[in-house]
Order: sequence, then C-alpha cells, then structure tokens
Amino acid sequence: MEHEAPAIFVALEQSGFAAAVRQWRWLYPLANVGHILFLIAFASAVAVMDLRLLGAFAATAPGRLLARARLAAIAAFCGLAVTGFMLFSAEASHLVLNPVLRLKFVLVGAALLNALVYEIGARRSIEKLPPRATLPRSARASAALSLVIWIAVAACGRSIAYF
Amino acid sequence: MRTSFALPAAIALAAAPALAHHGWGSYDAAHPITVAGPILTSKFENPHVLVTVKDSSKTWTIFLAPTSRMENRGAVAAVVAVGREISAYGYPSTVNADEMRAERITVGGKTYEMR
Repeated sequence: MEHEAPAIFVALEQSGFAAAVRQWRWLYPLANVGHILFLIAFASAVAVMDLRLLGAFAATAPGRLLARARLAAIAAFCGLAVTGFMLFSAEASHLVLNPVLRLKFVLVGAALLNALVYEIGARRSIEKLPPRATLPRSARASAALSLVIWIAVAACGRSIAYF
Repeated sequence: MRTSFALPAAIALAAAPALAHHGWGSYDAAHPITVAGPILTSKFENPHVLVTVKDSSKTWTIFLAPTSRMENRGAVAAVVAVGREISAYGYPSTVNADEMRAERITVGGKTYEMR
C-alpha cells in the first residue's frame, strides 16, 4: 500500500504458501482459531509455572510440576509460532508495518529472553527443591515479569486489527 | 533484578518506527460515502475480500467481508468479479485517501450486507 514493506515480506506475501492460506477455504480460519486455542494452552502452562515460582501450589515439589508445564508450554508455543506464521504470511507486507504487531514481536523477544535467563540461571537448582522450599528472588522476579509480558503480548495480538 | 530494564527498552524500541498502518479502527464511520463503478480487480481471498473500483474521480480500494461471510450472504466470487458494476456504501480510511471499508454493497440490483 502507501508504505514500503521490506522486499522479503512482500515476497513472503506473494509466495505460494501465503496464497494458499488466503485462498484455501478453511486454512485461514483454521490458523485463526488454532492460534487462539494454542494461546489458551500456552497461557495456562505459563501461568502454572509462573504462579509456582511465585509461591502458589507450594505443597507440591516444584520439579515435576515445572518440568511438565514447561513441556506443555514449549509444545503450545510451537503451535502458536506455526499458526502465527500462517496468519502473518497472508498479509505480511501490511502487517510488518503494523506498530502493535511490531511491539508484540519485541515483547515476545523480551519474554523469551526472560525465560532464557531463568533457564540458564535458576531452573536446574529449583527443580531439585523440596515442597515449601523458599524460591530464589531471581526466579520470582522472572516469573512476575513473565506473567506481565505474556499478558501484554496477548493484548497486543488482539489489538493488531485495530491499528 | 537484572532483566527489569528489558520491558521499557523493548517498548521504546518498538514505538520508534512510528509507521502509520491502518486497521479496522482507522475508518471514519461518522462520514460514510458511496462509491459506484466497475470492478477493476477482485481478490476473493481471506482474511477479507478486496476489490478496486473506478468511480468518476478515482480508483478506490474497497475492503469487503471474509470469504465465508460473503458466501453466506450470497455475495459469491461471481458477484464481485472483474467488470461487474458495484455500488459500495461504507467508511473512508482516515489513513489512505483512496481506500474504504464497505458496510454493504449492491450488485445487479441486489444488496449484500458485509457485517
């Protein structure tokens, strides 16, 4: 349209894959609904992890709970990435210029970075702790930050169509 | 808290390129217009059907409904095919001067609601 999108996003939008997403009857709606369902799964798993790190469900040993929720979160994130890529590619040259989507991408990056800091720093030691053990401050800070950023990501996602 | 700077920094970074893109929010519902003329191009695709229409003054880009809704309302691809005469009532974009979002369209004497 009026603003120039980088060539790679124009090429993505013009690709056969993106054309299929736009033209196959159920592909776009499927990606659309799938993205929301994966979001529900992802948000649930992340909430379990973050709340446990913040001190909820303290009677349960953190190890198994966190490990299982982490697997669910990773699986759901992959689903989000695939369906999100489908939705994005259909209108890539438009969407890449959308300020809310740009903010969303940056926030996703920040949330993943936050998760990485936790993974490298505290995860292994925390997964060995007994029930009711006090969790390190850094882990609680990561968990609080994670909740805030992922909620902001979801809010941005919902707002893309309005900007 | 080592990571606490990341969020404000991230927001500043994303807000920096203040490129105005338009979404469903940036249409002027207070000043509806009607554009009538032949359809020059037609993309019967998701997430919304897109036609360009030549009226007396210029060529408009007109956003219609998603394909499934178009079909449910009877506005199948042949209704908005290239060459058909269309009259579109809707809202002009506040960002692009030759773009509008249709509330309803009339083709061949039949009116189809887009919402």
